[in-house]
Amino acid sequence: MINAFRSSFLGVIALVTVAAPVCAQSIEDLNLQFHGYATQSFLYTTKNNILTANSSDGSPAWTEAVVNLSALPQPKLRISLQVRYSIIGQLGNAFTLDYAAAEYKVNDRFGVRFGKVKTPSSLYNTQQDIDPSYMWSLLPQSVYPVLSRNSLLANFGGLAFGTIPLGEKFGKLVYAGYGGQISLASNDGFIIPIKDAGFGAPNGYGETLAGGSLRWKTPIPGLLIGAANSHDFTSSVPITYDAGLITGTFAGKPFNNQTFSASYDHNKFSVASEYTRIPFSALISLPAPFPYPHVPYSFDNRGWYGMASYKITGKWAAGLYNSQFFNHAAAKGPARYSKDWALSTRYDFNEYLYAKAEQHWIDGTAVLYDTWNNTGGLQPDTHLTILKMGVSF
Amino acid sequence: MKKLVTPLFAAALFALSSSLHAQVIVIANPGVKATEVTKADIKEVFTGNATTLKDGSRVVPILLNEGTANEEFLKVYIGKSDSAYRATWRSLVFSGSAMMPKTLDGDAAVVAFVMAHSGAIGYIDKESPHAGVKVLSVK
Repeated sequence: MINAFRSSFLGVIALVTVAAPVCAQSIEDLNLQFHGYATQSFLYTTKNNILTANSSDGSPAWTEAVVNLSALPQPKLRISLQVRYSIIGQLGNAFTLDYAAAEYKVNDRFGVRFGKVKTPSSLYNTQQDIDPSYMWSLLPQSVYPVLSRNSLLANFGGLAFGTIPLGEKFGKLVYAGYGGQISLASNDGFIIPIKDAGFGAPNGYGETLAGGSLRWKTPIPGLLIGAANSHDFTSSVPITYDAGLITGTFAGKPFNNQTFSASYDHNKFSVASEYTRIPFSALISLPAPFPYPHVPYSFDNRGWYGMASYKITGKWAAGLYNSQFFNHAAAKGPARYSKDWALSTRYDFNEYLYAKAEQHWIDGTAVLYDTWNNTGGLQPDTHLTILKMGVSF
Repeated sequence: MKKLVTPLFAAALFALSSSLHAQVIVIANPGVKATEVTKADIKEVFTGNATTLKDGSRVVPILLNEGTANEEFLKVYIGKSDSAYRATWRSLVFSGSAMMPKTLDGDAAVVAFVMAHSGAIGYIDKESPHAGVKVLSVK
């Protein structure tokens, strides 16, 4: 169903892409643009292996390369797509589609986008895959888990968006409403705990969602306040156990994912904070001879962070954040939480080339880890060092 | 004497600085209705946050590739260096919410493009010839 849905939407995008030159008078009128970026990171951890990489030995296993193609055949019609090749630890090593969308923007107050569109939920969700756009090497994992990035980033569906001026005394209201389907790969971060419990999800997990976000650009210059809600509908996918010998179903129940955000920029100084909650529950059903035909599965993920950064010079910035994550459905212990202090810096050599360095002090094991790459068991705390080079054009 | 020289020097610096700021002008295609815009309007348009002016005129920003006028425009209206500014635009491109504005070499090219394209809005050195385009007054 999801594949059919996805194919239909990509078909529409392909049709619009093919039809676009007809609308434009010449290839120059298409205003074709080609951009891209690539990053290479080095990971080192003092104890646990992180992001499925052998980071305790030092690992270069985090590579990303992105190409972006966009066209503007008509002033109000824009078509864009972005393809990524990534390796994160033992994951990736494949091409993925970040988004492929056709946008029709009537004016600043109203526009629509169709295809695989980025989901405008939290403050940085539509930017979380764009390393050149932020200072951090790793965004706060309590809200932006990098191993679940692909599933949170975009959905196959549509989006309506716009900005409503509220007058000089009240600022502006930026709104977005969306609906579509998301697809979690079989190795997505949200599925790692299921795999750790001995199950397999050969087809991953997919669900329908609908949601919206409101961001108030307040009359105080630089101050933004936002809230978003995504309603995820029920879904059922195949699940395996005992090395694939037993096949059953994994039925997720509907839930709401809420996010509250605030950010403030003043000259060279920026601060931001967000809170998000994902209360998910599902029922795993397996046929006999499995001794427990129905196994409840749930997590109640609550994450928040506070961050601050400062532009020391035009090329050099530094900052720190504290990110905290709790799974209220988990048993007490380090696997229930993750508390992460990060100290970060970035230097832009020029418009194209930059370097980042980041140090993390992580307490708890609830995010970033898997058990199959930590066969000796997870230690309750780990220090993580990330060095990254990036180039964009 | 020293007490007198210091404020005079500061006043001279201020005058020089004001004079420099006045060297860049914002131009638009004659079809753009607006004749007066605010500094905030210019920042919204040239950072990809708005595609229309308050009077409803749809506008498309045109950038200068380099030079004194470009540096002054970015300093006065945007508050970013050229490399940081272009990196910000690329972020909008990668996030799927905008396209990179057309960038032209030299004031003459900007004037010619703005004159020929409906809704185009750009900036040039005040002293550069700009017949055929509208100069927007910035409050």
